[in-house]
Amino acid sequence: MTAEIGQAAIFLSVLSCLWAIAFLSVGLRTRNPHAIQSGRNAVIATFILISISTGALIYGFLTDDFSMRYVVEVSSAAQPLFYKITALWGRMSGSLLFWLWILTVVGAVVVWQSRQRNEDAHDTLADHALIPIVVVQLFFTILVTGLIEGIYNPLARFPNGQVAADGQGMNPLLQTPLMAIHPPTLYVGWIALTVPFAFAVGALTSGRVGSDWILRTRRWTLFSWIILTLGIALGGNWAYKELGWGGYWAWDPVENASFMPWLLGTAYLHSVMIQEKRNMLKLWNILLITLAFQFTLLGTFITRSGIITSVHAFAQSDIGAYFLGFILTSTAGVIGLIIYRWKRLKSANRLESLLSRESAFVLNNWLLVGLTLIILWGTLWPVISEAINGEKSSVPESFFNKVVIIPGLLLLFLTGAGPIISWKKITANNFRRLFVFPLLIGLVGGALTWGFLALKGYTFPLYSVLCSFAAVFVCVAIFAEFYRGAKLRAKRQETSFLNGLNLLIQRNKRRYGGYIIHIGIVILYIGIMGSKGYFLLESEPLAIGQSMQVGRFELTMKDSFKKEYANYRRTGVIFDVKKDGKHIGTMEPALHLYHKTGQGEPETKESAIRHFGMNDLYIALGNVPPDIMTGGLANVQVYHNPLVGVVWLGIAVMVLGGIVAIAEKSDRSREA
Amino acid sequence: MKKQNRFKIVAASVMLLGGMVFLVVAMTRSTSMRYFTPALLVADGSSADKQQVQVDGLIAEGSSKWDAANFVLTFAIRDRETDATVNVIYKDQLKPDNFTDGGSVFVEGEYDASQNLVVATKLMTKCASKYDGAESAVPTDETSYNSSE
Repeated sequence: MTAEIGQAAIFLSVLSCLWAIAFLSVGLRTRNPHAIQSGRNAVIATFILISISTGALIYGFLTDDFSMRYVVEVSSAAQPLFYKITALWGRMSGSLLFWLWILTVVGAVVVWQSRQRNEDAHDTLADHALIPIVVVQLFFTILVTGLIEGIYNPLARFPNGQVAADGQGMNPLLQTPLMAIHPPTLYVGWIALTVPFAFAVGALTSGRVGSDWILRTRRWTLFSWIILTLGIALGGNWAYKELGWGGYWAWDPVENASFMPWLLGTAYLHSVMIQEKRNMLKLWNILLITLAFQFTLLGTFITRSGIITSVHAFAQSDIGAYFLGFILTSTAGVIGLIIYRWKRLKSANRLESLLSRESAFVLNNWLLVGLTLIILWGTLWPVISEAINGEKSSVPESFFNKVVIIPGLLLLFLTGAGPIISWKKITANNFRRLFVFPLLIGLVGGALTWGFLALKGYTFPLYSVLCSFAAVFVCVAIFAEFYRGAKLRAKRQETSFLNGLNLLIQRNKRRYGGYIIHIGIVILYIGIMGSKGYFLLESEPLAIGQSMQVGRFELTMKDSFKKEYANYRRTGVIFDVKKDGKHIGTMEPALHLYHKTGQGEPETKESAIRHFGMNDLYIALGNVPPDIMTGGLANVQVYHNPLVGVVWLGIAVMVLGGIVAIAEKSDRSREA
Repeated sequence: MKKQNRFKIVAASVMLLGGMVFLVVAMTRSTSMRYFTPALLVADGSSADKQQVQVDGLIAEGSSKWDAANFVLTFAIRDRETDATVNVIYKDQLKPDNFTDGGSVFVEGEYDASQNLVVATKLMTKCASKYDGAESAVPTDETSYNSSE
């Protein structure tokens, strides 16, 4: 029965979405508060209905209801409870329902957040913004009804009362805690971007195109940014631990799809500051948040449509066409609204100088949007090349690695230059006071890196030297900002330096939270430089008792093992590890063979990783031959990944900075 | 003064945009590799000689040999529709997971037309379709490649 109730709830929520759109539109047009309130109630009703559907699906998992198609495809009786629940987003139709559910939570929260403002009949921005949110909800609701070809209702049962004996189980790659929480994290980040987008549309429809919509959604945007940062990092961390190739980022279309909205969101977080401070870029901000929102859908389109499926597969289904259709029509709608409001979107100010904080922000935006387009180009190259010359081609990882370096280094430099350059126009005094010292120390940093790497035998590593120069410059520039500000506060309040620092951050959490994020970015760059540029890799065939050398480490394969678990078999080898001749422990790289694999593959690599400070020793195992105990050869690849820990540290600092910045209350007084 | 500034800003923007476009076009040209099925590659081999290519097909039954002592995997990719095959050599890498006869395989590498051989630098696998005939209504619309490089 529960599955039928869940299905009915999905169909009812089509009605509640239509109800909300109709009553909000009519209510706003006729200024009828009762109609508007009815529309808001319908948004809450949708949330309740979709919660029931989602609950019904989870109930199906918990009770092993193998008459339900989706349950059979992603779960099995022996699947651990935790993965029975995360199976909710294990495949496409469940993912769509889960996505929809988060979106209905977001809708309900927006209604709840604006409950006090609703008393004020003139403040209709939130109600205007609800309409686009509900339109997106309606799109996803229709997708999961099962009426659309190629996507079935996640609560559907098999026809003719068929019941499967057991489920097929979830893809083994997804059966790790990291992968279980990685997709929902990304979803939350993407979906949260719907709110600033919806308020931008609301600003256009209501005609209130000032900065009110930006200020009121500032926390949503930051929330989305923090969660996306975490989600992308979780994905990288998962790839590093589970895929066995020693890296965390490979410019896979799926990774690119998560990264592009992040880049655009980052650009938007910067450009709104220009609108707030200088009343410029109004139009650009609306375009940018529209683009960021559309890219969250485009990601789904790219990975699910099959357009690049011959290279990296996900699903091949009709869903891509619906996403593309929705992206195009909704973008056309926004452009139409922009043209309608054209006169109100003109900027009051212009750029006054090429060397000014405004220009630094604009350059930052250019670079971030440019990077997004470059990544999109590379990701879609199979489609583009086919359109150009009829030959399907694609670009490898090295394309992305090469092409992002220069814009990436410019962006790194800007994380330091942006915060210290003066508004309107740089002055000689500004340059002398704030730039010269960090630049000099940066040069010293670059030179030291050069010297260090030269000692290790590398011939002039240009990019590493530039990266170190920029990193040191940024750190010095930003720490100097903290130092000057804290000292001034301490002096004024006649208190200690640390108190002054605390006061400084408390008074302007947004600004100094941002600076902390910038420091995190620097740390991240250092980690990427070390781990991408200077890893060691040794591949060896080894018999039991044999050893290999990787840098300062000596690894001796001393034994093999085989263990049976409920859903998989684990085979592997045991290494004794010595560093500089000193015994430091054992490592056990392994292979898992899953018995129930759903649509995934049965074998997975379980690499052994050991941290030494910020560096990792990483062992991937290729095979364990049946005759391993009588001289058979196991193949292993051992990586020494320098500074890979710094990558995760940098991301942690970025998230911390985001949390500081989000603590500042949105300014609701202006324009209201 | 104002006019001069505008000129500078426009000039800087054009330079930046031009630089980016140049970078992207140059990199695309130098790294782009054509995609082939084994049948297409065999038929049009000379045009792809000594070039980076991508080939997608099935692991020909009985063709694979794994030399553990020397880290060399050799096998043939069979076309999904015809009998055409292309030889592959994949060196200094671990034996990929889920590498089974008849399974899907995708390789990237340099093609040598005289030997009909791809020297692979990247290889991705997917098992042979396991669920044919299993639960009637179950499609296999969502599979993922295992990546190994």
